Amino acid sequence: MIQDYVMFTGVNILLAWSVYIILMSGSLSFANGAFMLIGAYVSGVLTVKFGVPLLVAAPLAGAATFLFGVLVGFPALRTRGIYLILVTVGIAVSVRGVVESIAYVGGVQGFGGMSGGNPWHIVALVIAVGAALWVVSRSPLQRILDAVREDELAARSLGINVVHVKLTCFGIGAGLAAVAGSFYAHYMLHVTPDGFGILVSVYIVLYVVLGGTNNLWGSALGAAIMTLLPELVRGVAQWRPTVFGLTIIALLLLRPDGLLAFRIPTVRLRGRSRPSRHDAARNVATPEQW
Amino acid sequence: MDQPILAVEAVSKRFGGLVALDSVSFEIRPRQVLGLIGPNGAGKSVLINVVTGIYRANSGFIRFAGRDITNLPSHELGRLGIARSYQNIRLFRRMTVLENVLVASKRHLLRPFRSIFAGGRDRDISIARSMLERVNLTDKADYLASSLSYGEARRLEIARALSGEPRLLFLDEPAAGMNERETSELADVIRAARQAVDAIVIIEHDVGFIRDLSDRLLVMESGRTITEGNPLEVLADPRVIEAYLGVDDDEP
Repeated sequence: MIQDYVMFTGVNILLAWSVYIILMSGSLSFANGAFMLIGAYVSGVLTVKFGVPLLVAAPLAGAATFLFGVLVGFPALRTRGIYLILVTVGIAVSVRGVVESIAYVGGVQGFGGMSGGNPWHIVALVIAVGAALWVVSRSPLQRILDAVREDELAARSLGINVVHVKLTCFGIGAGLAAVAGSFYAHYMLHVTPDGFGILVSVYIVLYVVLGGTNNLWGSALGAAIMTLLPELVRGVAQWRPTVFGLTIIALLLLRPDGLLAFRIPTVRLRGRSRPSRHDAARNVATPEQW
Repeated sequence: MDQPILAVEAVSKRFGGLVALDSVSFEIRPRQVLGLIGPNGAGKSVLINVVTGIYRANSGFIRFAGRDITNLPSHELGRLGIARSYQNIRLFRRMTVLENVLVASKRHLLRPFRSIFAGGRDRDISIARSMLERVNLTDKADYLASSLSYGEARRLEIARALSGEPRLLFLDEPAAGMNERETSELADVIRAARQAVDAIVIIEHDVGFIRDLSDRLLVMESGRTITEGNPLEVLADPRVIEAYLGVDDDEP
């Protein structure tokens, strides 16, 4: 039971970060459920049909999905805002449709035979990815990403290759979702394309939006709360979607900018002081900037 | 004679049927401040937008220090050393003043993903701090850019442009909407910027401001250049006065 909680919370935190990484460069992706699916299937085929160990298969699936992300991202990222969202929804729907039609991986029946999914691998991965994101949040890269996210035109004029930055983030986010999908699939033993529908992608985006889009902690907190809160009413299974939905509404009413909306500056000129309440209050997320 | 830092040769730009730039040619030489004036709709901003890669020219050539840069993407132009400010200030408002200056440093933005491992943080900060001193914004270093006054925001935008160590700086109506004190602080910043860059192009409607700062004036009207030269002579030119005040179309 505890294993389940650890596993699903960890996977969802990684998925939330996979959306957050793409959002850092200003794109909102509703395709990460599909990237997770690709990771689950690629690693599943590698372990089940070729006997590759999971700890090798998962990074390979991540790398393959990184390339896939860059490939589909190149045309997709020419669109902006609501259009980009629709394109990523299109990616999510078509990936699932394509996988359902491939008999080699079981079609709509799904693909099974995986094993060896270990929650502690996920815990280690959450710590590693979190540490990497924390290092980024204090680095020059964070400023470059923030510049791209806030004003592409101005960022471009400074000499930032906006296409390169956005595409790389899209690929990394896709790859991370795939790695999370790999471990998830091997924990579940059997997966179906149906299990990675568009709703999964929507949930992942919700974790990030509810948690806060401006720092790595918000996404993680959003994912943890939205994973664990519905579990509190596990006894009455039919109420879980209701609790999920009510939590969303409550959070949007109480904290419309997300639970942790602040952006922490990458550097400060004076001292090593924490951001003041005053700064945090002004540092509100603006969804328009997606 | 020095090679021109920028040579614009017969550049035209059309938007559908509207000819915004009609075979515009001019040169800027090193250590020059060029003032670009003309009535609204003359094509001044379009010209800057074409040279800085925001619009594509329909025809003509643009050379930067001898190199053909016509229709290069704007980030390439930024890397080559062309920087600009915008008519409607475009700061990264959710970042601090210091971060706005830091982000423009070429050292990192050429290789964004390797900058994670780049050291030299203290050196970056001290360079940025001295840039902020030049525009008198050191006290506001840790404030959000969105909290700055109009005059401060404009100075920060110029500081951001300068911290990429450009050779050529374009300022699109930098003094528009400023009060007298802000305008004079801005003029000081631009005078100081002359030392840092090879050449500056300023679009401005404030005639006193541009006369004091420019070495040369280029006058545009309806997408064409009508005259060019010493500021005092150009401003006394009847064609320039006519362009600004307009002619009566009913007269023969």
